[in-house]
Amino acid sequence: MALLSVKNLQIEIKTRAGVAPVIDDLSFDLEAGESLSFVGESGCGKSMTALALMGLLPEGVGSVAAGSITFDGEELTTATETRLREIRGNDISMIFQEPMTSLNPLFTIGEQIAEVLRAHQNLSRKAAWNQAIELLDAVRIPNAKARVNDYPFQMSGGQRQRVMIAIALACQPKILIADEPTTALDVTVQAQIFDLLQDMRRQTDSSIILITHDMGAVAEMAERMIVMYAGRKAELGPVEDVIANPRHPYTAGLISCVPHILSTLTEEREKLVEVPGIVPPLNDFGKDSCLFASRCQQAQAQCLEARPPEIEFGPEHQSACWRAQEL
Amino acid sequence: MSDNTLLNVEDLVVRFAVKRSRGFGKNAYLHAVDNVNFSVKRGETLAIVGESGSGKTTAALAVARLVKSYQGKVELNGTDLLHLSDEDLRQARAKVQFIFQDPYSSLNPRLRASDIVREPMDSLGNMTETEKSDRIDFLFEAVGLRPEQQRLFPHQFSGGQRQRIGIARALATQPDVIICDEPVSALDVAVQAQILNLLRKLQKDFGLTYLFISHDLGVVQHMCDSIAVMYMGKIVEYGPRLDIFNVPQHPYTQALLSAVPSVDKARRAKSRRILISGDPPDPVNLPDGCRFANRCSTAKDICRRDQPKLDNGVACHFPGAKL
Repeated sequence: MALLSVKNLQIEIKTRAGVAPVIDDLSFDLEAGESLSFVGESGCGKSMTALALMGLLPEGVGSVAAGSITFDGEELTTATETRLREIRGNDISMIFQEPMTSLNPLFTIGEQIAEVLRAHQNLSRKAAWNQAIELLDAVRIPNAKARVNDYPFQMSGGQRQRVMIAIALACQPKILIADEPTTALDVTVQAQIFDLLQDMRRQTDSSIILITHDMGAVAEMAERMIVMYAGRKAELGPVEDVIANPRHPYTAGLISCVPHILSTLTEEREKLVEVPGIVPPLNDFGKDSCLFASRCQQAQAQCLEARPPEIEFGPEHQSACWRAQEL
Repeated sequence: MSDNTLLNVEDLVVRFAVKRSRGFGKNAYLHAVDNVNFSVKRGETLAIVGESGSGKTTAALAVARLVKSYQGKVELNGTDLLHLSDEDLRQARAKVQFIFQDPYSSLNPRLRASDIVREPMDSLGNMTETEKSDRIDFLFEAVGLRPEQQRLFPHQFSGGQRQRIGIARALATQPDVIICDEPVSALDVAVQAQILNLLRKLQKDFGLTYLFISHDLGVVQHMCDSIAVMYMGKIVEYGPRLDIFNVPQHPYTQALLSAVPSVDKARRAKSRRILISGDPPDPVNLPDGCRFANRCSTAKDICRRDQPKLDNGVACHFPGAKL
């Protein structure tokens, strides 16, 4: 049985114009030790999915309207706040996008790492502190014994993100959700963080959910990927298959609209493929049509009339496009 | 200096005084740009790449005289911009224009789109009102905006459309050089492609010269003709596009290129990820030798002692060394 199983998940948020489904009928499974990636533009519901898994949907604004999230046989959508508190940080933990703002500036990093251990594993102050030092060392911060007394402002962006990873991994969670963990960082630092995440995954055998918009990062980090568009799953499949042979025009657009560095560059530089327009506004979400149709060059009358079903290509590859067969 | 050279920068130094007492009344200086040389040919694109804090934006700001340079020369068409003042400077500013990184904060929210594009012509040009209106119409069409959108305010546009207004504004005074400071890094990937294609089309149509600042090597690879790689205020490698990307010589350039994740299976199989350990040195207390020495796995004694000079396009004692 899958470690995490999401079935027909529907998340609605209240806006002034009414209720909009930011996540619309999303289903996927995550196996233990697997690395799964969510890709899409901003406003497509990637981060909302992560928040829903953590039970951290903004209170009074977002709520689970239908569907289920099952973790290790336990239903999360109906779990109490107390139970969710036990799971968060212990079984499922998350690294946020902004390493600059997600640490508390008033506490030393040692206190912030130890806090997790004391809360979840009932370690004594001393034991938690010692383990914090070990964790800092494990995320490759030089001279961990001295740096554990530093405040966040004394560290660089890459180091802060490594502290965040140390906090997230402190209790050896079964699932680690990384929401754009490197967008605020330089490429060489990004390479260090990815390397660290891969290493940690191998050592602790935890699953990783990586949320990103960078196809290159997906190709290097993940085994399977889900392409999200306007709150819906556009395509799901093994990374290699999807990149080599995308079955949804949005996926194809996302891959070819970015200038990639290839193994050998030549003088030739072709015009980038454009995906015209932008993600539709929230009040268009949930319509019974293909929401990508307005930006799609392959769109037909059918695309505007009904929501496309998920068409299977082999056991693992699905695409929600009326013309997926022809692509 | 060949005849075709439009912009020529020599020995440019920009330094900032930092409050860090070193004895009585002695100021410490941070050399954000340290003896930098480069030149751009008319109609071509030079990219300056580097990580945050490498001095790439400061160098660009100094070229546009938006920060004060300490010494050096910035020659546009043979005139040194750094020594101009008053009316001459005003005329020169019309020739160097800027496209900024963040389209959300670089447009005045209280002006209509047409007035934003008109502003540089008011302050830097000598056109009549009708000429200005005609030029605004022309520019809106050139950057792919509809005429009726001239009346709108910035908040009514999407990020990509705002960046188009920023581009139209930069084109307004018919500049010789346009400095693009990370023009797409605040935009969504699909919108990035639209803006990059637009920039290349405008370059072809109007023969524009770009100084392109970016940290995204994929974008740089697509846009530029030559590249300067900066590290801690110095240019460590400088050369034509294909040389830098296919046979990088400086260890930092090699590491930087290998760090870019790629969808190309062949590239991933071929290249080994070179991880550079540690952090860059303190920019106020720079080491004597090569500034990359403490993170370079091939560093020898000479690297820690003597600063390498930019020679044959690379500033390294052991160019081409395998990491």
